[in-house]
Amino acid sequence: MASQGDEAEQRQAVIKCESVYKIFGNNAQSLLQNAQGKIDAKDALAAGCIVGVNNVSFEVSEGELLVIMGLSGSGKSTLLRCISRLTDATGGKIFVDGQDLLTMNSKQLMEVRRDKMGMVFQNFGLLPHKTVLENIAFPLQVKGINTKDSIERAMNMAELVGLSGRENYFPRELSGGQQQRVGIARSLAVEPDIWFLDEPFSALDPLIRKEMQDEFLRLQSVLNKTILFVTHDFDEALRLADRIAIMKEGVIEQLDTPANIVLDPATEYVRKFTQEVPREKVLKIEDVMDPYDSTEEMSDIKVSKNAIIEVVAEQILSQDKAVGVVDDNDNIVGSLHSSHVINVLFGNRSQEQQG
Amino acid sequence: MPSYLKSSKAIQFGVLFIAFFLLNALIGPSESNYLWRLPPLLKDIPFLINDLVRGLMFEWMPIDVYDPSIDEYEQKPLFREITRAISSSFSFVINAVREFILGGSKTIVAFSSWDFIKENPWAVWPALPWTVVVGWAMVLGYKLQGRNLAFLTGVAGLYIAAFGQWSPSMQTLSFILIAAPVSVFLGLALGVFAYKSKAVEAFLNPLLNVAQTMPHYSYLVPIIVLFGVGDHAAALVTILFATPSMVRLVLLGLKNVPTDVVDAGRMSGCNDFQMLFRVLIPTAKRDVLIGVNQVVMQCLSMTVIAAFIGAQGLGSNLLIALNSLRIGTGLEIGICIVLIAVVFDKMSLAWANKQTDYFADLSFTKRYRHFLIMAAILVGGIVMAMIGSIIFEEDFNYFYIVPHNKGLTTAPFWQAGVDWVWDTFFYTLKSFNEWLITGVLVPMRDAYLAMPVVATFLLVMGTAYILAGLRSALIVGGFLLFIAFSEYWDRALITMYMATFAVVVSGIIGITLGAACAQNTFASKAVLLFCDFLQTFPSFIYLIPVIMLFGITDTSVLIASLAFASVPATRFTVEGLRSVPPVLQDAGSMCGVSRLQRLISIEIPIAFPHIMLGVNQTVNFALMMVIIGAFIGTIDLGQLILKAISEPQGTGIGITLGVCVAFIGLAVDQIIRTWANKRKLALGLN
Amino acid sequence: MKRLTKKLMAGTFAIGLALVSATGAASADSSEPIKIPIKNWSSQIVMAHVIGGMFESMGNNVEYVPVDNQASFEAVRVGDITILQEVWQSTMQNAYYNAMEKGGLIDAGTHAAETLEEMGVPNWVIEQGLCPGLPSWEALKDCSAAFATPDSGGKGRWLEGPQSWHGEVMPNRIKGLGLDDTWTVKFAGGADALWTELEAAKKEGRGTVIFNWTPNFTDASGFTFIEFPEYYDGCRIADGGTMDTTGCGSPKGWLKKGAFWKFPKTHPNAYRAFSQLSFTTPQIGSMAALVDVDKMTHEDAAKKWLADNEDVWKPWATSVLGEGN
Repeated sequence: MASQGDEAEQRQAVIKCESVYKIFGNNAQSLLQNAQGKIDAKDALAAGCIVGVNNVSFEVSEGELLVIMGLSGSGKSTLLRCISRLTDATGGKIFVDGQDLLTMNSKQLMEVRRDKMGMVFQNFGLLPHKTVLENIAFPLQVKGINTKDSIERAMNMAELVGLSGRENYFPRELSGGQQQRVGIARSLAVEPDIWFLDEPFSALDPLIRKEMQDEFLRLQSVLNKTILFVTHDFDEALRLADRIAIMKEGVIEQLDTPANIVLDPATEYVRKFTQEVPREKVLKIEDVMDPYDSTEEMSDIKVSKNAIIEVVAEQILSQDKAVGVVDDNDNIVGSLHSSHVINVLFGNRSQEQQG
Repeated sequence: MPSYLKSSKAIQFGVLFIAFFLLNALIGPSESNYLWRLPPLLKDIPFLINDLVRGLMFEWMPIDVYDPSIDEYEQKPLFREITRAISSSFSFVINAVREFILGGSKTIVAFSSWDFIKENPWAVWPALPWTVVVGWAMVLGYKLQGRNLAFLTGVAGLYIAAFGQWSPSMQTLSFILIAAPVSVFLGLALGVFAYKSKAVEAFLNPLLNVAQTMPHYSYLVPIIVLFGVGDHAAALVTILFATPSMVRLVLLGLKNVPTDVVDAGRMSGCNDFQMLFRVLIPTAKRDVLIGVNQVVMQCLSMTVIAAFIGAQGLGSNLLIALNSLRIGTGLEIGICIVLIAVVFDKMSLAWANKQTDYFADLSFTKRYRHFLIMAAILVGGIVMAMIGSIIFEEDFNYFYIVPHNKGLTTAPFWQAGVDWVWDTFFYTLKSFNEWLITGVLVPMRDAYLAMPVVATFLLVMGTAYILAGLRSALIVGGFLLFIAFSEYWDRALITMYMATFAVVVSGIIGITLGAACAQNTFASKAVLLFCDFLQTFPSFIYLIPVIMLFGITDTSVLIASLAFASVPATRFTVEGLRSVPPVLQDAGSMCGVSRLQRLISIEIPIAFPHIMLGVNQTVNFALMMVIIGAFIGTIDLGQLILKAISEPQGTGIGITLGVCVAFIGLAVDQIIRTWANKRKLALGLN
Repeated sequence: MKRLTKKLMAGTFAIGLALVSATGAASADSSEPIKIPIKNWSSQIVMAHVIGGMFESMGNNVEYVPVDNQASFEAVRVGDITILQEVWQSTMQNAYYNAMEKGGLIDAGTHAAETLEEMGVPNWVIEQGLCPGLPSWEALKDCSAAFATPDSGGKGRWLEGPQSWHGEVMPNRIKGLGLDDTWTVKFAGGADALWTELEAAKKEGRGTVIFNWTPNFTDASGFTFIEFPEYYDGCRIADGGTMDTTGCGSPKGWLKKGAFWKFPKTHPNAYRAFSQLSFTTPQIGSMAALVDVDKMTHEDAAKKWLADNEDVWKPWATSVLGEGN
């Protein structure tokens, strides 16, 4: 965890939130002024307010994919809307590329949105009167790019998200997955640095959702955007995230890498999510390996530190000796014994169930 | 809803009725008893209003205006100069459109003077042959939608020309061509303002209601003084009448735009202008288009009323025809109005839909081709007119302008139709009429008049409280109090009695008919078309046969009201039922309900809020027609309004009476709207 | 060939520029159009076009403005219409004098025509003996039952015009004559309601007592006015009379003209012609008949009337010209 944090600080923080609050209700401001840090839910209720986002601070560095995960009502979408300034935060500071977002006037905000931000919505938010192509070209045309260039660009985007041949369809003529592809293409049309996705796949069928997640990962591997991704689906979060922020009642319960969250849940609430998670599918070798001890006798097989346990488990289990773990340059950086793997896969879990 | 709640409402109503009847029984007619009738504390209000309005129109801020025609300075009030400036700009535009089609010299005069025309007799814009105008309209129809619309336009144009209604129709059209777009534009603008600001919405809402419910006749005199007599004044009154429903529908549509779409627009970096015109309004298109349709319908339904203050064209010809009992001619004119409405409506719809396909329409040659065809039509039409001047040597040139009343006529046929209706139905209807009057209407009216004022308040406010809550009850009470303190309480009771009857019957007719037709797509379309017809076909026409059959009685007034007031109830019922989600219908079917059960227990409750909005409009329409019933012969507020016009203090009296009528409408509106909104919330339809 | 060319030329003019023959007559009148109201009954409209034709023959511009009768009295005060050519005493004198009192309307003289506006019955009522003794009003005492309607509460019904025409005159008359036990007054909403009732009564063959006037297009089918006690100034309650005297009938009515106060200044010649103009009852009747009986358009009827009656209207127009020179 420490190494992760250091790494993030070394890179530039693209999005930075400092003590962000979003409070609904008439007495929001007075409640905020009296608050020291986190606002107590009872105080809020007494003041006739509902706290949507409660003293949230975090940073997202360039190229990082941060997933904000929480159940409905946890404030995750509200947080995203604050950061995109679709709603104004009640208090705190939000920086985008070092610029204070909350002090921007509407014109500056408009410019930032036109150049730096793209957003995908749960219910797609497509303009019903425009075709696929026109929808994708819309942010470009809004910027004032001429019809020919914007349509050309939209054609490329449509191809990128796999909508070739459907350019002249209207949204109502497309399936949900296809509509969301349009939404994705539109949000990427202006080549934004920052990409917001608000439960983009929640409205889709499970099979389609899986397909779209793969598609999303493919796109991200090509585009390498800075991403805030909101979901209520813990599996989805684990699958996609560089880091996950788990929210409950407006507060971030834990913000960490998927592996750390699974291995070391910070609160009881987080633990409940992790219980059912098949760890072999989440954890990588490096998450569970032992430090390399040159004196130890090693098996002939070597596994990559980035490999998912499930993929290589059978290989490791077949060996009596510890297996060497190598990094991308084939240098041995650790070792892993089959008993350790068994322990990871089954040991802890049975303990938990007993406990 | 749990059954105990339902029954609690029933109990509440039970208590209310018992109290109401007790009050009725206990309080007898007596001049001095304020529980019987409130004293006319506000009887000076008409005179105050009168002084105020007259001051504004004739005295306030006088400025010296030089009148070259008499070479003198004249003092004129500033306000009227401003309103007159507005109306002359309207007048100019209407005349320009009209003279483009029908020819004339007023537009030229606007840029020169009457002296110039006199000295230069050639300076007259020539009329276009009717063939050219119809041809152009057909090309427009083809361009907008295709062959069908072109055909419809052609048929309408041919009908109008053949029946000798060309000039009046074009006069009416030229005034609709101004009034409708202005109404649409105003409606959009106000709707957007109301959408952006709650305060504006709260401020506009009662104004819109008043504009829709206040009888036109009650502010006729100020309109004439401020805006003059003629098409411009008529256009203004029409705009005043047609705009409110547009505002409402625009607001409704904008509110229904999904938040995701709004957010998407904002995240795309739209500025306010782009947001409005490229995201919000296009997304709300469905409701905006319904609004446009309503504007067109209401503009055309106003053609006859507009003739009272000088609109030339079909309306005034209709009045003349009816005044000498030429029903057949009246009917032909009425059909012209309906045809113009239909074509205008279809064209505006097609145009609005066309807007979205601008990609398909970029090819320049296509546009060019249409202009070529239109030019060809112009040349062809002129040539035909020349040939016509040879063929019809002794007569009118039918290829140029078919003169008024020189076309075909089917009047004898319709006259025969009226005779047939008479011969077939009169004696049956006569006994029905007698029964209705002596058995229902007269007792009902007497019962209304026999209500002590406290009992009326109790009944109305109690109903408002039970259905819509305390706030509504107080608002409704306030409206009634104004009427009760005026001198017109008894007259208002008579208006209320007729309106109640009309609303109840047209509500039953409308909802039953709507529910029956909603079961079938074709029937739905047919009945909606019929609604359009009834709404635009001038009611004055069927007033005549109705009066013949039912005499100058309340029956006639009520039948005319029914024909008009059933329209919104029918329309909204069909729309409401058709929009019930299929899932619910399927769920119902899977529970094993019969078709009728499904309608009663699932569809109607779900569609109920929408239906109630229709009933709300039915109330407005019924009130309007009951007031217009003064032209048949009534003794209610409408008759007083008519009488007020020629009285010295008439302006104030007319406006006060108009406000009384509007308040009746507003009171009902308050109850129904709040009730419907509550039901909507309860059903989670927001 | 020459003829064809001529016709082609004529056709060109038809779709081209309308050629208005300029009148050579010198005139001090303004070239601003004189605005003539078009109301909704035949004689008024034909007369509007007759007067308009006369003005045009004098070199004036004319414009026709359709307007509601009640509204016209307000419109003429502010000059939106220039003249009122047919003001009937019985139905319009209230509006006429109120407008004059408010200012802006001037009296432009009276037509020669005498009008009668009174309650009456269609002729078949007398022929069928529905009320023996008519047209004397005394006959009404014994025949009210034949004129009852469902909403008249068993009494006979007088169908009066809208209340705005004569207010309480008819209800008072019924009381003054002691008929109020057996008769009641119903106000109709407008002239077309009256004519519809007349038509319906005729079809059904029932009796009706109805307000009507002459000259009117109903004259053709036969109408008899009831003879009431003679009118004299002050007999009605509104004019200072008592319940005993208010039973009096209607006076022989005048038919007046009115004008916007600036009219004499802007169009002195036209105004003088208009103020001299005076139609008789047969003349007005013949105008209406061209439309109501001969089914001509109002414009054509006016043209025909002007052509047939030059000796009637030329003097008004030319005498002015003579004076003007």
